[in-house]
Amino acid sequence: MQDATAVPKAGENVWLWLTKIISGLIVFVVLTIHLIVNHYVAPEGLFYYDDVINYFKNPLIPIMEGTFLVFVVIHSSLGLRSIILDRNPTQKVMRVVDTVFVVGGLAVIVYGIWLLVYVAGLG
Amino acid sequence: MSDEKWTVTFIIHRQKGPDSQPHFDEFTIEIHPEEFVLDGVEYIWAYKDRSLVFRHACHHTTCGACGMRVNGVEKLACMTKIADVTQDGGKIKLEPLRNFPIVGDLVVDLGPLYRKMHEVHAPEVIPLCASPWEGEGIKPPQETPKREDGEEYIRLPDCIECGLCVSACPTAASDAEYLGPAVLAAIHIQGIDENPDLLALADSREGVWRCHSAYECSAVCPSNVDPAWRIMDLRKQIIARRLKFKK
Amino acid sequence: MLSREQQGLNWLLQWFDPRGRSIGGLAFILNRITALGLVLYLYLHLYYLRQLTMGPQVWNAFIDSAENSPWIGIGELFVIAGGLIHGLNGLRIALNSFNIAVPYQKQLFYGLFTLALIGIAFFAVHMFGA
Repeated sequence: MQDATAVPKAGENVWLWLTKIISGLIVFVVLTIHLIVNHYVAPEGLFYYDDVINYFKNPLIPIMEGTFLVFVVIHSSLGLRSIILDRNPTQKVMRVVDTVFVVGGLAVIVYGIWLLVYVAGLG
Repeated sequence: MSDEKWTVTFIIHRQKGPDSQPHFDEFTIEIHPEEFVLDGVEYIWAYKDRSLVFRHACHHTTCGACGMRVNGVEKLACMTKIADVTQDGGKIKLEPLRNFPIVGDLVVDLGPLYRKMHEVHAPEVIPLCASPWEGEGIKPPQETPKREDGEEYIRLPDCIECGLCVSACPTAASDAEYLGPAVLAAIHIQGIDENPDLLALADSREGVWRCHSAYECSAVCPSNVDPAWRIMDLRKQIIARRLKFKK
Repeated sequence: MLSREQQGLNWLLQWFDPRGRSIGGLAFILNRITALGLVLYLYLHLYYLRQLTMGPQVWNAFIDSAENSPWIGIGELFVIAGGLIHGLNGLRIALNSFNIAVPYQKQLFYGLFTLALIGIAFFAVHMFGA
């Protein structure tokens, strides 16, 4: 038996793949709940300011939306990263891409949570 | 077979070398609908244009040399019937395989695929149990017969290294280093339990995670390898080992 | 297996060109297009939500202008369609990745895509119906 001569490249592995799949499933479940809840809480649609503020009075709503935000950012970042990897960028480029996704993703999550807390506080 | 002949126009990709400008030439010939695309190409070469560059050897699906795109879909020209891809008075467009350097006209350089197969030491023969049963659709065998001496039967692997799967794969179009369907299938056949180095390769950036489940490889595979199924099974095996469900 | 120079822009064509593709290939194209569309929507959505912090006048004026544009409703339906197609096809990919139902990936796609079409039709009627 001989060892393979090709060298495995770092940058994608089973853990990232599982994270993408699991976060995708969570997004799918939460989005389904969101559509059902939204339909019952605001059957005419969730549009105007007072409707939105009322919607966020229920403490479960910010938790649900926050969960959705965190996992959708993770799923979309890993998905975009995977598309970028399909173009076979250099390791140097991938380091920049990874930094942008981690810092940008965290910034989006912090912004989103702040927005949720702010809107929930208006109720 | 009747003497019926169809009039068919072959529209053939022409390119003299990798750096020259490609164009298409049209050749209208009379051909029996039960003949094969390769018969038409050979006729054109013999009677219409001796400069046409194409490749073939066995004429019966064993060598994998005559892979090309027939009306946009990857096929072995030797097993593609005229009647299956056109009609009387119709056209057949022939192009070289994608994702390989062009040598000329319908011929590509399959060297990159051969090198990758060599890198993972794709075997010359495999145990019978590593092949799908013939005639039962594409699925792994449930049980394989044993020889009287208890050893396993061996056979030539199904993969004829024709390159059709690589040509059809959208990821192979954009990532030259992606191992690709044929090589990942070869890793699966050899087994990642017996070859930890292949496990590391399959669970890497250019391994099974680059596959995006387009299933084009299995759709065009002329040899019952079913690379997509093997890639998905590799994924399952890798997940089980990394999560320690299986040592 | 072509170098970046040899690939030119053919890679883009092979990612998105549906000609000659099998069902799995079409599912791949749909998945990639919906993924890119949904990411674009997600970040635009988050950006525009900041107007909630500017008070009821600003937000309601924004909603009024959006409501008056027919493109917003069509865009919303596209987002729902994208979410349903991407989400349901994602289930198929997730199952297949554990080697579940791989030989039936085509039937799985047909079933889930039909479910997505029913969902899209339901939301279209809900949004644009009488």
